[in-house]
Amino acid sequence: MECITSVNKLKLKFPEEEGLLFNDLTISIRKGEKVLLLGPSGCGKSTLLQVLSGLIPQSIDIPIKSESIQIPDSWGFIFQDPDSQFCMPYVDEEIAFVLENLRIPKKEMTGRIKELLATVGLFLEDIHTEIRTLSGGMKQRLALATVLALDPEVIFLDEPTALIDEEGTAQVWDTVKAISKDKTIIIVEHKIDQIMDVIDRVIVFTHDGKIMADGNSTYVFSNFKEELKRFGIWYPNAWEEYKKEKVQNTFTEPSDHMLRLQNFRGYRKKENAITLEKAAVHSGEWIVVTGANGAGKSTLLLSMMQLLKTSGDYRMDGRPIKKFADLQRKAYFVFQNPEYQFLTNSVIEEITYELRQRNEVSNAEFVKKANDLLTIFGLKDKQKQHPYHLSLGQKRRLSVATAFIQNPQLLLLDEPTFGQDSKNTFKLLELLQEECQKGTIIIMVTHDLNIIDHFATRVWEVKNGKVISDWKKDEIKTGSEGNVYEYIF
Amino acid sequence: MSNRLKLTDILVTIVISIGFGILYKIWGPLYYAVKPFGINIDQLIYGMWFMAATVAFLIIRKPGVALLAEVAASSGEFLMGSEFGLEVLLYGIIQGLFAELLLMAFKYKRYDLLAVSMAGISSCIGSLILDFYKGYIGDLSTWNLVLYMTFRFIGTILFTGVLANSIVKALEATGVTNLVRTTSQKDFDSLDQ
Amino acid sequence: MNISFEESWLHKVNPALKLFTLTFLFVFAVTIHHLNYMITFTLTVSILFFFCTGQPYKHLLLFLLPFLLVFFSTAVSMILFGKGETTLFKWGLVNVTEESLYRGLHLGFRALVFAMMGITFVLTTKPVQLFYSLMQQLKLHPKYAYSFMAAIRLIPIMFEELQTIRDARKVRGIQSQKGLSGVLKSIKSLPIPLLSQSIRRAFRIAVAMEAKRFNSSNARTFYYHIGFSIYDLLFIVYFVLTISLAYFFALEFPLFPVTDVRH
Ligand SMILES: Nc1ncnc2c1ncn2[C@@H]1O[C@H](COP(=O)(O)OP(=O)(O)OP(=O)(O)O)[C@@H](O)[C@H]1O
Ligand SMILES: Nc1ncnc2c1ncn2[C@@H]1O[C@H](COP(=O)(O)OP(=O)(O)OP(=O)(O)O)[C@@H](O)[C@H]1O
Ligand SMILES: [Mg+2]
Ligand SMILES: [Mg+2]
Repeated sequence: MECITSVNKLKLKFPEEEGLLFNDLTISIRKGEKVLLLGPSGCGKSTLLQVLSGLIPQSIDIPIKSESIQIPDSWGFIFQDPDSQFCMPYVDEEIAFVLENLRIPKKEMTGRIKELLATVGLFLEDIHTEIRTLSGGMKQRLALATVLALDPEVIFLDEPTALIDEEGTAQVWDTVKAISKDKTIIIVEHKIDQIMDVIDRVIVFTHDGKIMADGNSTYVFSNFKEELKRFGIWYPNAWEEYKKEKVQNTFTEPSDHMLRLQNFRGYRKKENAITLEKAAVHSGEWIVVTGANGAGKSTLLLSMMQLLKTSGDYRMDGRPIKKFADLQRKAYFVFQNPEYQFLTNSVIEEITYELRQRNEVSNAEFVKKANDLLTIFGLKDKQKQHPYHLSLGQKRRLSVATAFIQNPQLLLLDEPTFGQDSKNTFKLLELLQEECQKGTIIIMVTHDLNIIDHFATRVWEVKNGKVISDWKKDEIKTGSEGNVYEYIF
Repeated sequence: MSNRLKLTDILVTIVISIGFGILYKIWGPLYYAVKPFGINIDQLIYGMWFMAATVAFLIIRKPGVALLAEVAASSGEFLMGSEFGLEVLLYGIIQGLFAELLLMAFKYKRYDLLAVSMAGISSCIGSLILDFYKGYIGDLSTWNLVLYMTFRFIGTILFTGVLANSIVKALEATGVTNLVRTTSQKDFDSLDQ
Repeated sequence: MNISFEESWLHKVNPALKLFTLTFLFVFAVTIHHLNYMITFTLTVSILFFFCTGQPYKHLLLFLLPFLLVFFSTAVSMILFGKGETTLFKWGLVNVTEESLYRGLHLGFRALVFAMMGITFVLTTKPVQLFYSLMQQLKLHPKYAYSFMAAIRLIPIMFEELQTIRDARKVRGIQSQKGLSGVLKSIKSLPIPLLSQSIRRAFRIAVAMEAKRFNSSNARTFYYHIGFSIYDLLFIVYFVLTISLAYFFALEFPLFPVTDVRH
């Protein structure tokens, strides 16, 4: 079959970096293929996608060399960050922007817009809706609609569902499936469970940007399973095998410190944005907060960190928590967007930042800890790099790693595992488990059901700005009935 | 290596400038609040209004950026509901044009403190010309006028030169400027290692 | 600004034409040196500001406050330090003369009129409509128009970002210091992250726009057709009429006994 995009002997290097990211990489994709690019975090998948679409070097000025390169005539690109891909304020205007580029006559536009929104399953009362009022999942579907408006031969997708809830993820992939019939689709994704029936070719990369395996999915996943496991790349059933090997995290004895919340409310612009009626949390508990996009999970964590205005009775070890200063050094927060957290100009400065704040850089023990963390998270050889120049997964790991430097009693994490390969996901969760067993209270937002299953001791479900249920994994019942949660209201 | 403005250059310039526009808007009431003190100390902070041009130029280093930045910043200020109303647009165009002309005289080859301070002074002269027509500053008593101009020039150098330069130095440290600057031949050659 | 209001006829005037007319009036106002005419001219603009923007009065009064500050502060510096012969009051360097008093008042009204014209335009024009109109009527290059629209979309995001950066600094253990030095320190440390974030975001959006085939051609169709209507005529006729009336009243019923405020 004819080839639609390819590159022969690609060499690529980021300015001011030491080595080449790609050295003589050759890859070609045939028309109509649905390809999944798989590989450890930081191996260059996102970068390759940008090369194949021609964004590098046309829009993004990064030097490349190749013997030959073929770029598709028409293509669309879905970026990972839903907020940085729109240029207009309203849904209809954004799609119209694409139609204008294609010189579609005005009188056909409204019809086309409605049709496209229906194709991606985005049903709005009024197409003139402000984009910023949409949830993450809805935004990605809008992005898909704008891409479809281009009627492209090839669609590039770079982790389009990293920040989207279960339901939204399923919707996005269903949509992709529905529209993909005679299109070529190239996907970069770590959460592969839901896309196995979309793709028919898998290309696996090693950590240094070389192709390790290439073929249809059954071939790759049955012949290269050991390698995938060793390199820490996701494969179907990776979680099941992990769960079989490792014992489940359980809640031991309630010990020294605890949180108490009663009639707790968080406010955004004077409006009640989150309510938690009543809860008592003991040290060693690991609470997972779940709920749909826009339900109020981040709001809950921000409120508990006292970064939003709150009311109600909130106590830690009996002492009331009224303002941020009451939590200083006791609690630590990892933001949903890792970039928000970066304050310095290099990875090493970033991880030792808290130590320098407390004048403890000379403390050998802490410095060792910082170095260990970098090694564990595979950031050791990125020490001098600017945090913003990391890959998405590396950014996330760096921002989470800063949490382990301190020993907070309360650790609040907003989706700490998104965009990770399996190795890093498990390492990160195991580190959290260690903290938890040392007595830290962990409250974390995630959409990943496996984490709830294996690690959480308790689940809070958020819906429409309210914590609607609070389930505890019951130690007594687990033995006989598997994962049963006890409703404790 | 092309020197024409690409979409990325334009959008980045305009976003920076709209940011400055918001700052300019806040600067307005501040300026008017210090104005009645007389002796023209308000003129010391006037230089702020020339800053978008030099900051944007130092970041992107291409022809046309200074003018675009100053026009965009004043449009931003205007659309935020500036107390100066339409006046800001006119001032923005003239100030941007004067800065641009000076940078052109340097053939857009100099990105240092001296070049941007001079560009700022050039903008400043542009604004003074407008003031003569609009604000009747020629009718101020002589001592007052001299003070007025001296203060404005000093403020200009502080804002467009010293401050702008140090802001961009700090930005360069964050690596963000690499996004909009063209890669060097050296980077390209290093691919054959 | 996200305030609910009613659309008035001024909203329906073609944005490019509105801008053009007001620019013309701006230049026109600079050529007025006659204090009485300046005052009546101010009246014609303030009628539009007060009755035709569709905003509730509470908001209008709120907008008016800074304008009054502008009025007084512009007037005062000329009144106190301007040249003049007929001294009314003298104290140290302060020398209030009749000429400088009138000139100061004149400048005050001029500043007020500029401010009101500007805010009237802003309150009755949606940015997206303005830039579509500029592309269609004044052939502004789409590269600039869409960059402006994208940048305006980013304004609220930038404000949120500012808050997040402050939160992040708190979480990472930077104690917010009290007092002036604390404030100065935070003023110093916020712009750089904010600027670099905005630049990165702008860059990503530009890349996304190019990925959506922007730039591949100059010719394009438009989702919004901004044409001309009867309201445009109304707008022009309003000014022709009221300005003539203003001139008539200024000559017939002068408030102050001056004609030219220039020296
Ligand atoms: N602008 C840059 N400057 C320097 N190095 C960079 C830059 N962007 C990316 N890198 C590096 O290039 C490598 C590949 O990055 P890329 O984003 O392509 O990885 P990825 O495979 O998509 O990873 P992930 O799964 O975490 O998203 C990473 O090691 C990253 O640190
Ligand atoms: N900065 C903000 N200002 C005002 N409203 C906001 C802000 N951030 C979020 N919201 C609104 O608050 C509600 C809850 O948002 P929140 O970010 O807490 O949701 P979430 O559950 O974390 O969703 P996601 O899974 O997408 O991260 C949403 O309706 C959202 O539109
Ligand atoms: Mg990536
Ligand atoms: Mg969230």
